[in-house]
Amino acid sequence: MATAEELAEAFADWRERSNGNPRLKKMVRGWDRVIHFVLADGGEGFTMEVRDGQLSELVPGQVGTPDVVVTGSSEDFCDMFWGDLNPSEKYMSGEITLAGSQADVMRIDAISMVAFLDR
Amino acid sequence: MAAAVPIDRECEVVVLGGGFSGLSAARALARRGVDVVVLEARDRVGGRSWTESVGGLRLDRGGQWIGPTQTRLQSLADELGVATFPTHTAGEAVELRDGVRHTYAGLIPTFDAPAAADAVEAILDLDLAALEVPTHAPWEAADAGRLDGTTLAGWMDDHLGSPVARDLLSVAVRGVFGAEPEELSLLFTLFYLHAGGGLSNLVRTTGGAQERRFVGGSQQLANGMADEIGDRVVLGSPVEVVRFDSDRDCGVTVTARRPGDGSWSVRAERAVLAVPPVIASRLDWVPHRPALRDQLAMRMPMGTVTKVHALYDRPFWRHDGLNGQLVADAGPLSSTFDDSPVDGGRGVLVGFVAGRDCRRFERDGLAGVKAVLEQLGRAFGPRAAEPLELGVQRWSEEAYTGGGPVALAVPGALSTLGPALREPVGPVHWAGTETATEWCGYLEGALQSGERAAAEVLDALGARS
Ligand SMILES: Cc1cc2nc3c(=O)[nH]c(=O)nc-3n(C[C@H](O)[C@H](O)[C@H](O)COP(=O)(O)OP(=O)(O)OC[C@H]3O[C@@H](n4cnc5c(N)ncnc54)[C@H](O)[C@@H]3O)c2cc1C
Repeated sequence: MATAEELAEAFADWRERSNGNPRLKKMVRGWDRVIHFVLADGGEGFTMEVRDGQLSELVPGQVGTPDVVVTGSSEDFCDMFWGDLNPSEKYMSGEITLAGSQADVMRIDAISMVAFLDR
Repeated sequence: MAAAVPIDRECEVVVLGGGFSGLSAARALARRGVDVVVLEARDRVGGRSWTESVGGLRLDRGGQWIGPTQTRLQSLADELGVATFPTHTAGEAVELRDGVRHTYAGLIPTFDAPAAADAVEAILDLDLAALEVPTHAPWEAADAGRLDGTTLAGWMDDHLGSPVARDLLSVAVRGVFGAEPEELSLLFTLFYLHAGGGLSNLVRTTGGAQERRFVGGSQQLANGMADEIGDRVVLGSPVEVVRFDSDRDCGVTVTARRPGDGSWSVRAERAVLAVPPVIASRLDWVPHRPALRDQLAMRMPMGTVTKVHALYDRPFWRHDGLNGQLVADAGPLSSTFDDSPVDGGRGVLVGFVAGRDCRRFERDGLAGVKAVLEQLGRAFGPRAAEPLELGVQRWSEEAYTGGGPVALAVPGALSTLGPALREPVGPVHWAGTETATEWCGYLEGALQSGERAAAEVLDALGARS
């Protein structure tokens, strides 16, 4: 199990790369959303916001009403944020699940894949 | 006025076609006590679902997969006690690109990562645009005329810079539609993607359209529906003529061939045509054709697909860490999947030769078949090039189907003639997966269209009494 610090560090890396990636910026333009990450292996999870084409910093806990809920293990989230894990493998195996409106799920699915491919 | 013909059988509703759509319509009507007769041209039911025994295995020569949100199909399977099992996906997939072999994990070949990212972004753009096209009336989409005046290829010109990304998307489209992006109206494409939950859903195994298979094959579900309807399903009876007088509400008479017995005529108050649009257009209509529906059908050609099965004594690729999936930028095969039986006791790869590649394959004859074997060898090793058996199912040769997996709409079709797709003409109602608003093109869509047509007919019959 990854610690909250490890997750925060991995996420900070992901966020920096994502916010600097022109393709991803385009993909989140006008898409202001609240995203909850739920840890399947325990722990309190965290919240991320997309606002004005930028990913926010991670906030511990489940804050606000989520548009998308992403559930997975802390290890997989860490690997995904570091860019070591192809998220589509985890979606296909059901180890990471996405819940939300069809359009929001499609978008976060594509965004996470592009973040992996375009790293 | 329609000339009188001797009537051999009278009933309330005659259904043309014993595929999933016709049988679901007939079953729904029979359950409501309606006297219904189903005329099926072939000597079997199922249509584009056709399970055959090959070397002791039950192989689907047509439709085979079921995925999430296909609730009618799942209930039918549950009702008939037909089990499903997941498509084998453990291991890596193979990509053949420019003659070079790569392996990859996940949804999309990742060898050329920027191109893959391009393709993912394009699929998202398409899928989000698709959600804006109403599935019950694509012609009412904002900008329907402009979308319908564009091909998918035209859209790709504007949205995809890299040729590799374009290839990746074309392979996906070829598999889904049996057609090239150049053939597909953008409006129709968006409608179809919306009806099936997006291209990202249609190309997926786990979590998508290729998630599970039926133990014993999909045709069992057609057989089960036909069993319930009983001897009112008449096999080997292709309809040739449909007669009705649209000016007078005096029913409909269809004349069909009957094996060994010349022809016979069935008269009914209502008819359900549960065949692909182009097949309905090949009938004789007396005194005249259902003009707008017929014109629309001329703009809805069938896709081009051939399905190939390669049988082996074992699914040996699994031991090499492969999942049996192939994506290829050049034919004959554009994709394969592991199609081994549930116990994995034998090995089967199912492959699709589609669109452009299928037209070349049909011309190439034996050389095409040889090319399939070579391609299997390149993808999965020399053993794959020497299957115990190779089954080749050419859907374009099928007189009562004309191609597959589905009819597509060319530019200008839906925006100018779309409403004719489902609008009844006199006593004639339209079913068939091509008329579905959910999962159009799939078995689920066929079931939905049959239920919708049955409801229309019940309404019409109710209004009469
Ligand atoms: C290669 C291939 C793979 C596919 N894979 C899948 C899949 O994995 N999952 C999925 O959900 N779908 C799949 N599909 C699509 C699916 O098979 C079809 O959507 C579905 O079977 C269509 O059912 P239908 O009743 O609308 O039409 P059909 O099945 O075409 O039924 C029409 C029936 O009418 C009969 N008929 C035609 N002319 C006459 C006449 N003149 N008189 C009387 N009867 C007539 C035909 O013989 C046929 O039985 C696939 C299709 C193909 C070809």
